[in-house]
Amino acid sequence: MTAAGAAVAPGNSRRVVKSVLTRIGFYVMVLLLGVFFALPMLWLLAAPFDRTPTLAAGVPDFTFDNFVRVFENPFVLPSLRNSLILALATMVLVVTAAALCAYALSRVHLPGRDILLYVLLLFSAVVSGTAAMVPLFLLIFEIGLINTHTGVVLVLAGGLMPAGIFILKDFMDSTPASYEESARVAGASALQTLRDIVVPVVRPGLAVIAVWTVVQVWGDFLIPFILLRDPELAPAAVVMFNFYTEGGQANLPLISAYSFLYSVPVVVMYLFVNRRYGFRFYGGIKR
Amino acid sequence: MARVTLRSLTKRYPGGVTAVDALDLEIADGEFFALLGPSGCGKTTLLRTIAGLEAATTGQVIIDDVDVTRLPPGDRDIGMVFQDYALYPHMTVQDNIAYPLKVRKVNKDERRGMAADAAGNLQLGELLERRPGQLSGGQQQRVAVARAIAYQPRLFLFDEPLSNLDAQLRVEARTFLKRLQAEIGVTTVYVTHDQSEALALADRMAVMQRGRVRQLATPEEVYRRPNSLFVASFIGSMPMNLLDAEVVDGALDIAGSRLSLPPDSAEHVTSGDRVVFGSRPEFATLHDEPVDNALEGQVAVAELLGNSYLLTVEGSGLQMRAVAAEAAPNGTRVWVTFDEANCLLYRRDDGGLVGSPRVEGDEAVDADAPRVAAARQ
Ligand SMILES: Nc1ncnc2c1ncn2[C@@H]1O[C@H](COP(=O)(O)OP(=O)(O)OP(=O)(O)O)[C@@H](O)[C@H]1O
Ligand SMILES: [Mg+2]
Repeated sequence: MTAAGAAVAPGNSRRVVKSVLTRIGFYVMVLLLGVFFALPMLWLLAAPFDRTPTLAAGVPDFTFDNFVRVFENPFVLPSLRNSLILALATMVLVVTAAALCAYALSRVHLPGRDILLYVLLLFSAVVSGTAAMVPLFLLIFEIGLINTHTGVVLVLAGGLMPAGIFILKDFMDSTPASYEESARVAGASALQTLRDIVVPVVRPGLAVIAVWTVVQVWGDFLIPFILLRDPELAPAAVVMFNFYTEGGQANLPLISAYSFLYSVPVVVMYLFVNRRYGFRFYGGIKR
Repeated sequence: MARVTLRSLTKRYPGGVTAVDALDLEIADGEFFALLGPSGCGKTTLLRTIAGLEAATTGQVIIDDVDVTRLPPGDRDIGMVFQDYALYPHMTVQDNIAYPLKVRKVNKDERRGMAADAAGNLQLGELLERRPGQLSGGQQQRVAVARAIAYQPRLFLFDEPLSNLDAQLRVEARTFLKRLQAEIGVTTVYVTHDQSEALALADRMAVMQRGRVRQLATPEEVYRRPNSLFVASFIGSMPMNLLDAEVVDGALDIAGSRLSLPPDSAEHVTSGDRVVFGSRPEFATLHDEPVDNALEGQVAVAELLGNSYLLTVEGSGLQMRAVAAEAAPNGTRVWVTFDEANCLLYRRDDGGLVGSPRVEGDEAVDADAPRVAAARQ
């Protein structure tokens, strides 16, 4: 008995030590990764309020001066307004068009429908990606939309639509057809059904697509950078790039304060939408 | 109020399934009509074709002498209750009930009044502000019915509206539906695969199989005189006794025992005919000593039904069921007799009642199938 116990014990303790070490290693790694990702956030929170911002994150020497200087820059307010225009216009276009497409694709059985969707999804990465920049530029130039917000909105919407359709179709598929059928029996037209029944039921899906579109457009640099000439038309992401190159060196006070302003709308919007519509489904009826 | 006429109505799905097959049917004004049949026989398809949610492949749907076959559902003036109720999850009970009225451009005050009336009729007054997700199954069912009656359509279509409810609630809701329909007197077509529901509710019913009507009659008639083996094995909460028999010298030979011919059937059969003898367990009597006209066997199972017992008796390769007031221990030797007035004979080849016109086509071939299934239960 005792012999057997003694034989087992060293093995056991070795295993305990090993598991403790593994656990410590795990936490250290999680911590390092966490700090790694948190640092830019901390910097974004601290630097704008620092009298002499550097690339390090630290407790700021508190001041609002950076913001005053940002607002003195003639491009700042127009650029934020441009970003807003581009984001909202693209959002309206993507949500409306994607909702109609997704509804049709979900309710009408076209041969090859799923293949079509996957191919679209695949190519959407190309449309708004670097690879298609030259043809896109030429295309927009040919149709006379170069240096206009319309051109940028069309290209961005084209790139975002397939994923939007894909996600929304999933939402549409999961709403029972009997909702619409009962509305049809009651005498509602197709558009009434869409407006009164389908849209409210898939509203969480629409909210997801809307927020996602705004965030995508808000953060997009390449397309407006290439398609817009006039600095007056440039959105925030492009203007920020100019701060960086102005004196041949990064203008940290300006960049930090500007970045802060740049990220506020997105966060506010997320909070608003989440509270208003909630990223969830309505409790339904037995399916 | 409406009369519904179906003229050789056929619905073939793109995949090639003929769900409704050249169906002729006449439903009278104010009638409570039930469509009954096993899963996949085309009940839902038939109902949806009447509603206009499916386009008929050929044939006509006529409501009140007007051919509505090509009209969209909204123009047919129909109220429909779906199996999943299809209540709009984002609207309150009040808005759900009022939505068809809104579509029909009834003004807001009138709409609220009519919705409140319908809701009051169904004891939903307290729940008007709730969402469907906050209601019990029975309440949801009543909201769905209220939504269908609020706009006073001339025809109601119900697709298994009680199948999501538990057994007790189902019986309550059934009584309630029957009373409601009698009060407002609107023609109703009611789909179910639960035969007790059809028997309980309907003024008249159709038993369907493979897109065709196999029997069209009152529930009493369907229960007492099923016109084919298929209907006989399908109807009744306790399966009917169906025993292979042969006509020999003006009597029946069932596995070597002699039974006299049922009086109704005697004139339709001749010696040598191969038939199936049918009688419900309610009309079987057990004797504990040998009697004439009886089949002998041993009690194999006794099941309590409430105030009586269902006994399964086995002997000479036969299985019979009988309802008895007293249970008997397993293995007891008994002699089973059947009430002659309630015995039926079916032709073994096509499954039709003897004396009735023969069933032609492919149904005749599989008339045996349900009987085999029933025997195994
Ligand atoms: N949309 C469809 N496309 C192709 N075939 C279909 C479609 N809907 C139903 N069917 C087929 O048509 C036949 C009848 O279906 P239906 O739904 O009418 O049956 P049912 O009698 O209502 O059955 P249940 O009692 O299970 O509801 C079935 O064989 C079914 O597989
Ligand atoms: Mg069905």
